[in-house]
Amino acid sequence: MILRTMKVAVVVLFAVVSAQAQEGATRADWPSFGGTPLAWRYTALDQINTANVRNLAPAWIFQTGDYADNLQATPIVIDGVMYVITARDNVFALDAATGRLIWRYAYSMPPPVRPRGFATVVQNRGVAVGNGKVFFGTNDTYLVALDQKTGRELWKVSVDDPKQCGCTIFSAPLVVKDKVIVGGNGSDVAHRGYLTSFYAETGRLAWRWYVVPGPGEPGHETWKGDSWKFGGGSPWTTGSFDPQLNLLYWGTGNPSPDYYDADRIPASHGKDVNLYTDSLVALDPDTGKMRWHYQELHGDFMDFDSAYEVLLMDREIGGRRRKILVHVNKSGITFVLDRETGEYLGAFSLAEEQTWISGIDMNGEIVGPRHPDVGITSTLCPSAAGAKSWNQIAYSPRTGFIYAPVLEICAAVTPNNQGPEEGAFAMNSPVDLKLPPGRTTYSHLDAWDPVTGKRIWSFPYKYILMASVLATAGDLIFTGDPEGDFFALDARTGEKLWRYQTGAGHRGSAVSYAVNGRQYIATPTGWQASMVGAFMAGLFSDQSWRPGSTMVVFALPEGSR
Amino acid sequence: MTRPWLLLVISALACPAVAWSQNTPDVVKQGEQVFNRRCATGYCHGSRGTTGGAPRLAARGFEQEFIANTVSQGVVGTPMPAFEKTLSPQELAAVVAYVANLNGLASAEMTAGSAGDNPAAGKVAGPALSPEAVRGRDLFSDSVRGFGRCSTCHEVKGIGIAVATPMAKVPADVRALRALATPEVATAKIAGESMPALVVSKGSRSVMFYDLTIPPPVRRTAEPGTVAFAEGSAWKHSSVMGAYDDAELKSVLAYLRAVVKP
Repeated sequence: MILRTMKVAVVVLFAVVSAQAQEGATRADWPSFGGTPLAWRYTALDQINTANVRNLAPAWIFQTGDYADNLQATPIVIDGVMYVITARDNVFALDAATGRLIWRYAYSMPPPVRPRGFATVVQNRGVAVGNGKVFFGTNDTYLVALDQKTGRELWKVSVDDPKQCGCTIFSAPLVVKDKVIVGGNGSDVAHRGYLTSFYAETGRLAWRWYVVPGPGEPGHETWKGDSWKFGGGSPWTTGSFDPQLNLLYWGTGNPSPDYYDADRIPASHGKDVNLYTDSLVALDPDTGKMRWHYQELHGDFMDFDSAYEVLLMDREIGGRRRKILVHVNKSGITFVLDRETGEYLGAFSLAEEQTWISGIDMNGEIVGPRHPDVGITSTLCPSAAGAKSWNQIAYSPRTGFIYAPVLEICAAVTPNNQGPEEGAFAMNSPVDLKLPPGRTTYSHLDAWDPVTGKRIWSFPYKYILMASVLATAGDLIFTGDPEGDFFALDARTGEKLWRYQTGAGHRGSAVSYAVNGRQYIATPTGWQASMVGAFMAGLFSDQSWRPGSTMVVFALPEGSR
Repeated sequence: MTRPWLLLVISALACPAVAWSQNTPDVVKQGEQVFNRRCATGYCHGSRGTTGGAPRLAARGFEQEFIANTVSQGVVGTPMPAFEKTLSPQELAAVVAYVANLNGLASAEMTAGSAGDNPAAGKVAGPALSPEAVRGRDLFSDSVRGFGRCSTCHEVKGIGIAVATPMAKVPADVRALRALATPEVATAKIAGESMPALVVSKGSRSVMFYDLTIPPPVRRTAEPGTVAFAEGSAWKHSSVMGAYDDAELKSVLAYLRAVVKP
């Protein structure tokens, strides 16, 4: 398809896809949220490949029994045991070869007592496993540690007061050496976002890094008056870690309030505004001190936060091997940076419908923004639900491509200028999702070369693809659709090679692992019945995408490999 | 699209908890403003109650009493909150009038009443606080102070984390607050390490205590026999009060005196 609405300027970088270092690939285990802390969502296993994927069949399924919302957690697999968490924070350890229950832990979640912000929404996107423990964040903003072998609770610590902050934790924590680091939701409420690090062994506080700097700290001057106190920026998904550079990478959320910026933009400012919201930051994981930052959008007014996954890879650029990161902003603009320095290398738009700006320039800065005015209804694309949601892209070192599910959805917004009330929603506008005119498909799964900024192929889909992508060394790309199909594409051509109807929509994150030499592909299922899943479903009223909470696991039948 | 919690809205309780004033155009207009700010947010009902992730509200045939109950009490088991805790009686009445208006209810059908009759009003306002007590209330849970704020360990009037037992007595002054005796803090010894600890429970299968080494307190769960407690501790309440100066603590005490009942 042709880029219809946006003149994408890309710094063309002469690149050679060479044999990649494999440190970002998983093998028998799927040890971390993004596969490894480099977040490729790629397995080096190739037992299941383009030649035999047509034989792929269910090996086992597991019904969690928790139907509060869907199953969206990325399962973690270590030494043949799968760890998965449900919306209400039931944690299961399963035999990854059979689905047999090893232990179960049910978090005692108090009913929401304060009707503010996210406190009444129930979701969980995954556990982290490390240091002999299973860690997870909770709806009421605790971080909990369980014994990995028994599922017994070892410690829990309050990260914030949900009755006041309106915040919550949906994201999977990240284990880095002796610490466990967790972000939280809250940049759509009047709240000041942060990352918090605790010692894995004891649960004691190690450090907290506030996204929005306090008085006397660099960057504080990029906020008007007291707006920093509820400035948002919550890093609400899971970051990445480069053990060689000893740097932690995390994307930050939008400034708060969302669509009304007059009370937070200072009278005079430089390029960066409302730091360190909508930014990629590199932190020292031992101290929480920031090493560098790159703000993707300055003083964002569209809820286009930068909180999504950060893919770390080494690529040949201009004859030189460079350590880069690839990061999709919620607007769909995808940034490529040098991850040692934060230097800008290139940007391109995944989305075809980009009406909120006229383009991006050679330095990755937006051109011609259309700022929605108070009291005036503007229909702009993409929507606050994102050109991509929190479901994650994948990277294959064999092809050198990233694989991204992209949404083509717009929204009518009518900003208001009401002031913040701590912990209450501060989007400052209704968000009425709209289908862009003149299209027959509203999402696509694309292969992009992040170094050249070129789209290699695009797989269109009538409705919306909102599940994570899995890439494999068998040159397969797996994801699922809201109608219930889980399917595999050829990583080099985008051709659909296999599909299986799982009985419920896909809004989770599939993984791959091996037990006793047999490769498995596991996908959580169940359409998200709240929040973004529900808003999106509302656009297609003839559809009835089924919720659910089931792990469905595939393998090649014995004897057919 | 089927939304599972849509059906639950229908099961809201029937007894009215809020009275309302006439649905005059002014009130409806005010209600629209409240609605746009608190209910129309992208995650919830959308503008005019017709879009968004939560159930559609316009033209549903809702009666005003049903709307009033649902708005004020929320819907248990769904993301629909009980707004009587966070909206003023006037705002509640206005937003109910607005949603009634979306359902085509004209003012003639409305029951006259005064927001002043609202039994929820007392919950909203609470006892009148002096300006210093109001300042103290804000300081008690001041998020700018991070884990240094009082509410990291104390819950008062529904705000804060209930680590410490509920306050029964408020210290007479700042000096007394700093010198507060904490005989309930013991010394736990686990895996060769000693730490100040607040015991939560000692069961036959597990022992639970808060590790007070550094705020925020960490609730540890251990198997009996792996942890030993000794009475008393070197822990001092003053060691966790560094985020406040004396004047601020004086205000916090003024607040506590106003709301803590022996």
